Amino acid sequence: MLFGRSKKNPIKIADKGIVEWKYAACGYCSTGCSIEVGLNAEGKPVSSRGVADADVNRGKLCLKGIFEHELFTSAGRGLQPLMRDKWHDAWQPSTWDATLDKLHDEIRRIQAEHGPDSFAIISTGQMLTEEFYTLGKLTRGLIGTNNYDGNTTLCMSSAVSGYKRSFGSDGPPGCYEDFEHTGCLIAWGSNLPEQHPIIYWRMKEAQEKTGFPLIVVDPRVTMLAQNAHIHLAITPGTDVVLMNAMMHVIFKENLHDQRYINANTNGIEALRAEVEKYDPVTASKICGIDEDTIRVVARTFAKASAAMQIWTMGINQSTHGSDGVVGINNLALITGNIGKPGGTSLSITGQCNAMGTREWSSCSGLPGFRYLEYPEHREEVGKFWNVDPEFFPKKRGMLQTDIYQAMEAGQIKGLWLIATNPMSSLPNTARIRKAMEQLEFCCVQDCYQDTESAQYAHVYLPAGTWAEKDGVMTNTERRINRITPITPPPGEAKPDLWVFNRVAERFNKDGRVTFPERAGDIFLEMGQLSKGRLADISGMNHELIEKSRGIQWPYTADQVERGEAPPKGGKRLYTVDGVFSYPDGRAKLIPLPFIDNNEVPDEKFPVWLNTGRLIEHWHGRTKTGKIGNNNKYSPIPFIEINPDLALELGIQRGEYVRMVSRRGDAVAMAMPTQRVPKNMVFLPFHFHDCANRLTLGLLDPHSRQPAYKQSAIRIERIADQVAAAKLSMEMRKF
Amino acid sequence: MFQVRPNEPDYALLKDPSSQTLNRYGKSIETAPEGDALRAQNFVINGEACAQQNPNRYKQHGFYFNADNCIACHACEAACSEKNDNPAHIAFRSVGFVEGGTYPNYQRLNISMACNHCDDPVCLKGCPTRAYTKFAEYGAVLQDPDICFGCGYCTWVCPYNAPQLDPVKGQVSKCNMCVDRLEVGLKPACVSACLGKALDFGVIENIPEGRSQAKTVIPGFPSPDITHPNIRFQQTRATQRDMVRVDSTPVKYHKDDGSGTFTPVLDPKHDFQREWNWAKLLGSHENAHIVFTLAAQTAMGAFLLLSVGAWLGLESIVAFIGSAAYLPAVVALIALMSFGLFKLNMHLGKPMRFYRGFNNWRLSPVSREIAGVSLFFGGLAGYGFFSVFPSFPFAELLKPAATVAGLLGLSFGGYYMIKLYRIPARPFWNHWQTGASFIAAGLGLGALFLALFAAGFNSLTPELTQMLASLIMFALLLEGVGLLAHARDLRGQGEEGDASFYEQTTTFGNPYWLRNGLLGLSLTLALGIVATGNSMLFAPMALTLLATAIIGRALFYVLVIPTTMPGAFFWRNKGFVEHARETGLANMPQLGVVPDRH
Repeated sequence: MLFGRSKKNPIKIADKGIVEWKYAACGYCSTGCSIEVGLNAEGKPVSSRGVADADVNRGKLCLKGIFEHELFTSAGRGLQPLMRDKWHDAWQPSTWDATLDKLHDEIRRIQAEHGPDSFAIISTGQMLTEEFYTLGKLTRGLIGTNNYDGNTTLCMSSAVSGYKRSFGSDGPPGCYEDFEHTGCLIAWGSNLPEQHPIIYWRMKEAQEKTGFPLIVVDPRVTMLAQNAHIHLAITPGTDVVLMNAMMHVIFKENLHDQRYINANTNGIEALRAEVEKYDPVTASKICGIDEDTIRVVARTFAKASAAMQIWTMGINQSTHGSDGVVGINNLALITGNIGKPGGTSLSITGQCNAMGTREWSSCSGLPGFRYLEYPEHREEVGKFWNVDPEFFPKKRGMLQTDIYQAMEAGQIKGLWLIATNPMSSLPNTARIRKAMEQLEFCCVQDCYQDTESAQYAHVYLPAGTWAEKDGVMTNTERRINRITPITPPPGEAKPDLWVFNRVAERFNKDGRVTFPERAGDIFLEMGQLSKGRLADISGMNHELIEKSRGIQWPYTADQVERGEAPPKGGKRLYTVDGVFSYPDGRAKLIPLPFIDNNEVPDEKFPVWLNTGRLIEHWHGRTKTGKIGNNNKYSPIPFIEINPDLALELGIQRGEYVRMVSRRGDAVAMAMPTQRVPKNMVFLPFHFHDCANRLTLGLLDPHSRQPAYKQSAIRIERIADQVAAAKLSMEMRKF
Repeated sequence: MFQVRPNEPDYALLKDPSSQTLNRYGKSIETAPEGDALRAQNFVINGEACAQQNPNRYKQHGFYFNADNCIACHACEAACSEKNDNPAHIAFRSVGFVEGGTYPNYQRLNISMACNHCDDPVCLKGCPTRAYTKFAEYGAVLQDPDICFGCGYCTWVCPYNAPQLDPVKGQVSKCNMCVDRLEVGLKPACVSACLGKALDFGVIENIPEGRSQAKTVIPGFPSPDITHPNIRFQQTRATQRDMVRVDSTPVKYHKDDGSGTFTPVLDPKHDFQREWNWAKLLGSHENAHIVFTLAAQTAMGAFLLLSVGAWLGLESIVAFIGSAAYLPAVVALIALMSFGLFKLNMHLGKPMRFYRGFNNWRLSPVSREIAGVSLFFGGLAGYGFFSVFPSFPFAELLKPAATVAGLLGLSFGGYYMIKLYRIPARPFWNHWQTGASFIAAGLGLGALFLALFAAGFNSLTPELTQMLASLIMFALLLEGVGLLAHARDLRGQGEEGDASFYEQTTTFGNPYWLRNGLLGLSLTLALGIVATGNSMLFAPMALTLLATAIIGRALFYVLVIPTTMPGAFFWRNKGFVEHARETGLANMPQLGVVPDRH
């Protein structure tokens, strides 16, 4: 059997010489996987692996997590603070003291000259919760601008808004364990295998055991759609119509859960009256799903022992994003599918700590899902922070998308941009560029110095990334998990928390408000503030969280006193009747009339532009574009284009094409595939100077989230392919 | 020793309570019976001898791939590259895909593939340096990059794209089956990382829990007949009639309704436009082979004419040997051969290790070719030496000895030079035309070589003219007949050979027709010389014949489309790799394509 030689060759297998493993929750998506990073004898991070006994990922990681240790040494990291007079001057090396003084002085100058709200602060969904909390305290309690938001407006704001409208509070009620109990799963605009691969694996594990029907609503034949029992290739932007029609069938065929509706909801009459208008025949003409299929899906869903709905950007990034979420909640409520094993409406979140910012950043109000609009909340938090409650605004200010429109109109003069890159991520880049250009002062705080938005900054602050910092994050199933500082930030870069505390010192000269230095202490302070709230975390601390591989909220001090250990998983919200977050404990059933305000393809711009994500990339690609073993699967932008359309336009596989919308144009390589219909192309949004040169991004009336996924474009063949290749390459730094 | 965690998840643990005795090809699954000497030898990983813990250590293991479930999440590839510390441009495991149907009745079939640790490892047999070993432990086919000299022949013969030639390091490396993990009872890193519940691993022919099939083929996977690969598949979902490759290879897989199996057929991806593409044709990684084969075959042909001609007492040859042209011609032959060998050697990833080329003379046609060609070169050098120094002691004995050695080397090396291209996974080469073309090049260019030297030294007699022109005419006819037969046997017959012909008439359509025209012209000129005896025609013919040979040989290398795994749109797409190198994208970091160093 031994071929080749009579003596065995010595076998050499790579050995990275790992001497120690350190713990962190993953810093990419919101699945919340537990990672161990391996360090070699020199203390260098050289390996990543999934934590075997973590309930979320059970030892697994996706390709981004597997190479997450390479982030620490990736190119383009900021190593020292920088400053300049004008954004078009060259950067000058500076010091922390000088740059932070400048930031403080400019905030106060602009506020003095143009009013307190003329300085905006925009953060992210990717910092640690203690950092969000500290920034919120600093902004709401000391700086006092009401134009403070995070980039979560671009991904989760519709889910937040929909949850609030239906249940009276944000907070996804389900958990991953629901897959194991469900009798039917509908995925609305969610491509789990690509967007949330570990959640997909949990779903697949459960599905192989129980065989529940999987229904996927997506205009594109994703891997999930292809593997679904029923794939509904819906017309973009018409989900609400399909939801209404399903409810129409459910009521018509008496498949609703009257007991649950009576015990838990308000507004059933108005809802029934509205969905009465959406018989499957009428609806099929709008949403493109035939009447029989609508009926089959409605029946399958309503008759299931427990039915679960998940959704992601296909719902959220729409002019009906918030309505779509409410529609999903309506379907769940009328069939009694909230708070029971396998019955839930679970928003699959985007960024690693989008939930943390929703809970604790004070962007949309005050910490712990409190509202600026409620005097008792202002009172409570003001007292807790030692801030005059009258200092708080009485109403929430603008969201990120509105802030940029105000910036464009000259109402916002200064901006502190933290760990987000709107030059890549906001729709209609040309307008964003103009808005940024005319700022009197802009400070960019980011772990990467080469973030595109830094080109308009006057001050650059180098921050730590991911596990260079200490703190917690909350995942999609409300699980708080720990990040331990695995390695210090490079050069003079500092953790964001350190930066916020140093800025706070400058606004807090009298020391009135306390800003603990240690993340662990901040967490305990948050615990105090969370007592009795929906997201009660008073039973947790950093050590217990790490030991438990993350704990789902709520976990209260009372539970600790009773000696209850934190559950491994499977924790749900609203599990008994009448406990929704509205004052009367009832959820709202909200009728959803459909208004078609999408930019629908027409003669001049005949093709739908559908944007979305790829598994190998993370958002603006600032991270994954620098990691070869992620980036190589799609190093340049491409479109999925139907081969019949490509043939008509004379476009061949692998040629560059020009896409033109009413906003501008962009270049990408053509990948002909029948995955998309003839009147649609799919363009990944990750690449700078590409998708968002085209997108319109109409804003949802409730959530102010842009409709990235519904724009109209035309496609043009490029005769000079050499020039196109050069142009495409120039627009890619990585 | 691989460090096992106390709480390794169940999915990562090897589970093979029982196994079959023989695999489906009749081969014993137990690789070395109890008491076999191979079991007595230590199994050493990273310098550490491992005591046997795994009860199934001496059974053939293999991957199991559930094509119904793969979602192309790349977790297997990432886990593999992370464990083996591979840079972006090297991957022991890759995911490609084929697709079919019409929206929304569309289907994509992803295929994750690494090494199949075959029963008949063609890589091991092909490798000239003996860098490969098929171990009794797990039946793993392991390769040692420290032995390899980077010729890349294993990458030619393997149908699964398993061996990875690294242009930066100049060596091959490949999947090691994670034998360090197997030793401690863990499945390989890729399998443990799988998120689609697609990839599994165990003793071959064992079907994992919850799976029902153990097929040997799925659409896009090459015929298992070539190597008897140790991989089994499940693929229960109905497939579209045509499953198309998305990389630049003009191949799709067509379903046979009877057997349900798929065979590769032509998929004309880029129309039927005829192009030149000189840069691609002559600038390929294989151009060292163009130089070497043509130089060696010319030298062999000329040497054969001189030596055999002299022994047979052919007057024209004897006269040539007696002429002023003889010594310069012999010296030039040695120089030509040296140049060819130099180019060949420098094309190796590790030229300093050239001497390892003989190591696998028992199995590898490459080793045998190298041995034969070396013997020929030695013989030629000796022949030359004693021709220049006829009064050297024992020259009258040593010169014939050198000649015999040269002829032996010529026959042996020449045979294996042809044989090594008869690769089942490369249908375009695996035809008798390869031999015909090589022999024709030897005779035609060898004869032309002598004619030019004779003419240059005013020694071109009418007899020599007649003889050499006739030989050239014969060579060109042989080449022509071979080309016709090649076309008849491959074109329109499906498989990758058909795709090669498509590329020949489109991407390289103009050079192809130019070569055909030049071949015809050369033949006409040869006929002209034979008919009229006008030796002046050798001058234009030198140009046409040489151009015919160079273009023809360049086409030979550039057109071969291996029977191999489908790639993806960017990753493992030859078209994108070429595009990235042409445009300079490859110079960007983290692209997964490195600039070609040759």
